[in-house]
Amino acid sequence: MPLHIKRLVFTFVGLLVFFIILQQILKPHSFGVQGHFREDAIKENTQRALQYAGKANCTKCHDSIHAEKKEGYHSTLNCEVCHGPGLKHAQYAQMFEGKELPDSLTLIKPNERKDCAICHQRNAARIKILFDTIDNTMIHQIDAMEHNLISKKTKKERRCIDCHNPHQP
Amino acid sequence: MKKEKKQFSRRDFFKTGAILVGGVAASAFLSSVNGVLIAGEPSKKRGKWYGIGIDINKCIGCGKCAAACKNENNIIKEPFYFRSWVEQYTIKNDGTVKVESPNGGIDGFTQSIPDEEIFKSFFVPKMCNHCSKSPCTQVCPVGATFETSEGVVLIDPNYCIGCGYCIQACPYGCRYKNPETGTADKCTLCFHRLDKGLQPACFEICPTQARIYGDLNDPQSNINYFLKNHNCMVIKPNLNTGSKLFYNALTPEVR
Ligand code: HEC
Ligand code: HEC
Ligand code: HEC
Ligand code: HEC
Repeated sequence: MPLHIKRLVFTFVGLLVFFIILQQILKPHSFGVQGHFREDAIKENTQRALQYAGKANCTKCHDSIHAEKKEGYHSTLNCEVCHGPGLKHAQYAQMFEGKELPDSLTLIKPNERKDCAICHQRNAARIKILFDTIDNTMIHQIDAMEHNLISKKTKKERRCIDCHNPHQP
Repeated sequence: MKKEKKQFSRRDFFKTGAILVGGVAASAFLSSVNGVLIAGEPSKKRGKWYGIGIDINKCIGCGKCAAACKNENNIIKEPFYFRSWVEQYTIKNDGTVKVESPNGGIDGFTQSIPDEEIFKSFFVPKMCNHCSKSPCTQVCPVGATFETSEGVVLIDPNYCIGCGYCIQACPYGCRYKNPETGTADKCTLCFHRLDKGLQPACFEICPTQARIYGDLNDPQSNINYFLKNHNCMVIKPNLNTGSKLFYNALTPEVR
């Protein structure tokens, strides 16, 4: 074999070995087990913190409100739709039963007009049939600027919950 | 030396021509049979393979799903980072379409067009389609985004180099660059909740049950029930992304 070919072969073999060693060092653990990605990443993705507790959780302690809500038009609404994420609240209340909840863990109580209007404000896009809700009605809409103000002239507002029970509207 | 010249008669020309055209037509026909539902094939036939269904007819546009998504996943509360958001489509009498999504719908919607001018209006909740042939995972240069065997497209934030190719590649605009970490970010179908047997946050919160998800491999699952009973469609089927987000009552204006 001519000398220059030999040199070329040596260089290539050397580079190949170097590349393989480098790849072994740099390749992260569990890469390529299931495909072109780190398998560990799947597990890491499951380890994030939860915020929402889920339907069943609230009913354990607030069963009277659940029973009340079950009968009314808001039966399809989850507690956390209005009250916000409540897993920390539920966990704390369970761990320290009978203790006062710290302010950071009491949930929001959406009792302003705009909180109800987010779903009930009149909007052409909202007129549709909800087959699964009570007696096949659409979402009932009101004009939050008009519906039952204290005085139409001064536009003085009244809270929706003065007349409607949010858990059983 | 005499070179033998192969004779290519007119007859041969028509013959090969017919075969070619017929073949192309047949393959086109075969792939067109491959409809929306079987656009993607599960990587394994056993086990879970998640699909999502959204009923546009039921959505009342409260935007609680977008808010829940931000709460659950600690997304920055600025108005351009969304994993899940709602768009309000309004088709006017003159045929023009107006799409609005103020802050992803979190603060609720108002109709900016007077009722007399509206032909039709509806809300479209959007999120990652969890495509089975997703363009976003294919372009990743380092293998930091992938599809799990459950059919959920995930990101490996520790391995992402933040090049932004996947953000460009997603035809549905479902990815964004997380300004805190500098890596790409997207809906994970709340993989951490699924793992613990809970529903993803946006499904949990929907007041009208407009969203459902389930196992496409299980013939009894609610997603298959939904697909059987509604005329479902995916967004941009022409791109052949193998999208697994099926919309009931999707109209061609939505893109
Ligand atoms: C382990 C029992 C427990 C669970 C589970 C629980 N709570 Fe509570 N909750 C409490 C207690 C105790 C209070 C305090 C009552 C008080 O201060 O009068 C409370 C108070 C509240 C309040 C009123 C706060 C206020 O300012 O008056 C709301 C709203 C509430 N809970 C919502 C929820 C929701 C939504 C869930 C489901 C995620 C939930 N809770 C789960 C025990 C629980
Ligand atoms: C339509 C939205 C809505 C839903 C759904 C809802 N709530 Fe409420 N809830 C409210 C509002 C608004 C208030 C504040 C009432 C007030 O200020 O008097 C409230 C108050 C409360 C309180 C405080 C009680 C009190 O008398 O001060 C508790 C506890 C509570 N909710 C629990 C629940 C639970 C448990 C569920 C689920 C079964 C639920 N809520 C579902 C809107 C809602
Ligand atoms: C997350 C969306 C949402 C919020 C927030 C909400 N509602 Fe509702 N509401 C619904 C749905 C869904 C229904 C059931 C469909 C229907 O019958 O309209 C409903 C039904 C009602 C009804 C019965 C309408 C009828 O059929 O006569 C009243 C009244 C009502 N809500 C009042 C309120 C009030 C007051 C608030 C504020 C505390 C509120 N809602 C907040 C979604 C919501
Ligand atoms: C003065 C008390 C009062 C206040 C305040 C009030 N409502 Fe009402 N609301 C009523 C009464 C009474 C009815 C039933 C009669 C009717 O249909 O107008 C009603 C009906 C409704 C309905 C059903 C409409 C339908 O078409 O059947 C909805 C939805 C509703 N209210 C939501 C709200 C919301 C949201 C607010 C706050 C922005 C609110 N209400 C504030 C008294 C009130």
